[in-house]
Amino acid sequence: MAKILVVDDDDTIILVFRTHLTKAGYTVETAVDGVDAFAKIPAFKPDLILLDINMPKMSGFELAKRLKESPETKNIPIFIMTSLKQEANIKKGYDLGIEEYLTKPTNVAHLLLRVNKFFEKSRSC
Amino acid sequence: MFLTRLTSSPDFYTLLYLAVGLLLAFNLLEIVFLLVHKRRIERTEERKETLKRRILTAAVTVTAPSEVLPKPLTDDDYEAYGEATSSIIESFEGEITERAAGLIHDFGIDLYYKRLSGHRVWYKRAHAIDILSSLKLERSREFFFAAFEKETSNTVKYRILYGLSLLVQGSEDIRAISRMLSTLPYLTAKYTEDVFINIVTVIKNSGREDEFGAFLKEIMTDAGVHTKVKRDCLSACRAAACERAGPIVREYYKTFQAEPEIIIACIKTLVAMGDFSILPDVLRHKDWRVRLTALKYAHLSNSDIKHDPKTLLHDPKFHFAVLPGILRHKDWRMRLTDLKHAHLHSTGILRALQPLLHDPNYHIRLNAALALSKMGGRGLEMLWAEADSPDKFAADAAKYALDSAGDAA
Repeated sequence: MAKILVVDDDDTIILVFRTHLTKAGYTVETAVDGVDAFAKIPAFKPDLILLDINMPKMSGFELAKRLKESPETKNIPIFIMTSLKQEANIKKGYDLGIEEYLTKPTNVAHLLLRVNKFFEKSRSC
Repeated sequence: MFLTRLTSSPDFYTLLYLAVGLLLAFNLLEIVFLLVHKRRIERTEERKETLKRRILTAAVTVTAPSEVLPKPLTDDDYEAYGEATSSIIESFEGEITERAAGLIHDFGIDLYYKRLSGHRVWYKRAHAIDILSSLKLERSREFFFAAFEKETSNTVKYRILYGLSLLVQGSEDIRAISRMLSTLPYLTAKYTEDVFINIVTVIKNSGREDEFGAFLKEIMTDAGVHTKVKRDCLSACRAAACERAGPIVREYYKTFQAEPEIIIACIKTLVAMGDFSILPDVLRHKDWRVRLTALKYAHLSNSDIKHDPKTLLHDPKFHFAVLPGILRHKDWRMRLTDLKHAHLHSTGILRALQPLLHDPNYHIRLNAALALSKMGGRGLEMLWAEADSPDKFAADAAKYALDSAGDAA
């Protein structure tokens, strides 16, 4: 079963994502900021990270940068989910090597479709 | 005199012990009161959090959440409902937001906040307006217009306008918001831009994007609208991708030749729309800030303007001419700012860049290395030489820039 790490400091997002992704059959772990996520990744070994940008302690960009720099974690796919819609932020995200940059408000049904398609595609590769 | 009589009194020590005892008792009572109060607040917060989690779970899992949730009775209950539903509406769209809207309607959450917005304390009114804004209820539109008229605090008025910007229904509303905005002191570019980004987004979603273009045209010659507001409207156009306003933005460019800030906003907006037609002109603009802005986009344009950046390098008024001097400036922020454009300078700058690889500031070392890598040829040779430098920091910066250049290639 694919494992997804949801990193967001908003309780609502965590609860909604956890409920829907678990219902869809994924194993879900959550983290409230970049530092928390960084600590959980080695043990949880996620197949996908859903990452917010604006978080306390360590931002999503910083976490993505660290993950993509490390040989052990550089292949973990990252979907950024943020309310930051500026072109500069989108470019920054893709420059860091993330797979998807999705902006809030999130349509949960659409997100599930994207996640499912992403795993189908990775399995077929 | 009084002190002498007091200290020589036979009851002095009795009185002293009594005073100390009273102070001690008072302090103890105060500590007990604070502890009890803290516990009470914590319990209220815990209760609120539990209710909030319950509301969120119900909104996610149940089709009609109001049938399984308790009716709010106290202020704290309403706060929990308000925070939970506004958080859902701000972060999500689709079915879950419809359920949250159902909860708001069934339990009269917005009515509670409308009542609270009449509170005598301004920050309570501001809080109520913030929650009402994030609920994005069409029925709040009229209420916001009325609340703005009655409101006495400017801080709350800014929030009302922000809330209204999320509920615009057409050009009349845009004009009304613009008029209301002009009755308040200019706050910040970010605030005004955010208000107009909301407006553009809402009217774009309702398929009436042209109306913002028409509004831009209307205010172009309106002296009552501050130039900064016009600039922020143009920036909002770029941020919210209001592409149909392109022709009006070009009109702004022609009309406001003496206003560098407007010209800069026009450049950024048009470039974001894929229109580079004004670049050859603005690269020769008399204001160096305009030329610098244009230069940042010059590489995106077609080849017929490629000679302009080179011409600018010999422009005595342009700051590239003084770049080598600024690269040695004592303030690292000055050195950093100009490093970002150093690669556009002639190769003569190589000598000025090389020592910066050993700069004590990390940003300077890194940007100097990146500037050298972008210069190619001798710049890259210099980086290869520095990659083996005994200065570990310089070597790291050089290797990083070489890696980036390799990746880009």
